[in-house]
Amino acid sequence: MPGEVLKTAVLEINEKEEGQDPVYLKIRDLVYQTCGIYHSEEKLYLLVAACKRRMADSGGRANTGREYMELLANTTRREVEIRALLNEITIGETCLFRSQAQLNALHNVILPELAAERSKIGLKKLKIWSAGCSTGEEPYTLAMFLMEEKEKLLKDWAFEIQATDLNDRSVETARAGIYGDYALRNTPELYKRKYFTPDEGGKLKVRDELKSHILFTRLNLNDDSRMVFMKGMDLIFCCNVLIYFDMTSKRRVVQHFYANLLPNGCFFLGQAESLFQVNDQFRLVHLPGTTVYRKPGAETGKVGKL
Amino acid sequence: MTIGLRDGLKKRVERLRSLPSSPAVLQPLLDLLRSPSDQIDLKKVVQLVSYDKSIAAQCLRIANSPLYGRARETESIHAAVLSLGIQRVEDILLTCCLHKFSSGAKWATDSGAFWRHSLGCAVVCRELAERIRYPDPDKAYLAGLLHDLGILVNSLAYPEEYGKVLAVATEKGIPLAEQEMHELGFTHCESGSILGNMWQLPRAVNEVIAHHHDVSKAPGDNPLVALVHVGDMLCRLRGLGYGYEEWRGVDLAADPAWGDLSKLCPQLSKMDMARFTMDLDAFVPRVQALVEAVFAPNLKHGEVEQHH
Repeated sequence: MPGEVLKTAVLEINEKEEGQDPVYLKIRDLVYQTCGIYHSEEKLYLLVAACKRRMADSGGRANTGREYMELLANTTRREVEIRALLNEITIGETCLFRSQAQLNALHNVILPELAAERSKIGLKKLKIWSAGCSTGEEPYTLAMFLMEEKEKLLKDWAFEIQATDLNDRSVETARAGIYGDYALRNTPELYKRKYFTPDEGGKLKVRDELKSHILFTRLNLNDDSRMVFMKGMDLIFCCNVLIYFDMTSKRRVVQHFYANLLPNGCFFLGQAESLFQVNDQFRLVHLPGTTVYRKPGAETGKVGKL
Repeated sequence: MTIGLRDGLKKRVERLRSLPSSPAVLQPLLDLLRSPSDQIDLKKVVQLVSYDKSIAAQCLRIANSPLYGRARETESIHAAVLSLGIQRVEDILLTCCLHKFSSGAKWATDSGAFWRHSLGCAVVCRELAERIRYPDPDKAYLAGLLHDLGILVNSLAYPEEYGKVLAVATEKGIPLAEQEMHELGFTHCESGSILGNMWQLPRAVNEVIAHHHDVSKAPGDNPLVALVHVGDMLCRLRGLGYGYEEWRGVDLAADPAWGDLSKLCPQLSKMDMARFTMDLDAFVPRVQALVEAVFAPNLKHGEVEQHH
């Protein structure tokens, strides 16, 4: 509806202006300190919008940015409120093909290098873990991406994706693999035709052939006894999940990821997250438009060529 | 580089000096850049900026960009110098002079990409300098602005060959310097430092021009070389590169430049680089918009410009 569009546009402008309010910079820093998700200046309006939605829902506890900051910082409700805010921040974030920069980096830099290295030892298999896969958008994206790679660079290679989430219902939805327009907004037509079949209500369903590459299971990242069995990974994706963890458990979980990666394996976070002060064994590698954390190679203790 | 090659290059750079578009204020400005900053007369700077109308207008537009930290809109050069400081205005003036200097000539490359990279690198170097408490952020800006002077030289002095260099580098997604070495036998570091010497740029800046791709050859007492090396790398990986995507991964912490810089600026090792890169992404559209707004009438994508 045009009226709606206009309203959204106006709201966005207002939020961009209110982003100038220094209290939102404080909220930004608080969010970054507690969960490691960072809103650069150009993304600040998204945070402002999320705060606004929370304020509207706060039952009058907070009506201004300042009051909301109080609610987040100094009340007994603070932990509940931060979690609710994080939910607002990450809402609508999930869709297939969310981060093209990550896929480009994989295609152009990481996979060619990894493929060359693994074939040296005669291992033509890739193991990938989508940790915190939510309703399956990420693992299906990776599966489609790798199917395409199999036609060129990864000919005769096998790949296996482990997709885990804490939430039973998410895992069920992920297994079903049925998506609507919104989740598919970034998915190229070619991929829709190749990897999906039409389903009820105009939705699309992932083909079984694609599903066969993915193993969906429920897993609690805090469950040490299960974490130690996720060994031998080439790539681990954990996007916008660690933001819900406190520093201590974040460090422990990331340590597991580190241990489960093969040498020169790569760890991917969400675009706004960093491992600063969480882990200093990973090496931060800069790639066009994105960054990735890499486990150093076995012999040299140094990062592979890349 | 062989002696023959160097002589040939020198001759071509000599010819560049006499470009008809070379602005009259360039030489006095370069002289000014060499004098100690506490001896610079405010009046003189205002005079220089105001000398050339088109340059003055561009300077004001740049000075009013949020990237340059203006507190409020300035309408006069005098106010700009007062609010931004002499050194920053000198830098802005130099940007505009360089632009004018090169705008009358044929460009082998996309001149817009060059300006976005140069201005972007300047801004990023200044920001990085501030965060790691390098004592002279404006100097870092100047060094970032001029570090790729040699691309301008190569583009103007070797238009044909350089077009090829850029095309191949773009296709392969490799660093420009690599292909320059392959095709020309020298890189923009060498050609840039020849022009830098002729212009008698400050020593520290000239060292940056000459060594920003190979920090190991730089004298150890100049942190600017490593600083610009890092800033340049970040720009090239975050959408402010040479106008094409370089397909590679860079582990900055394993780079010798990083070690050099951390020794000279210990603050660097405490820096949250992931977060810095995210902040950097916010610069990109601004730098693009600024270059578009200031230089747009003279910029065309990959096309040869002509107005004599």
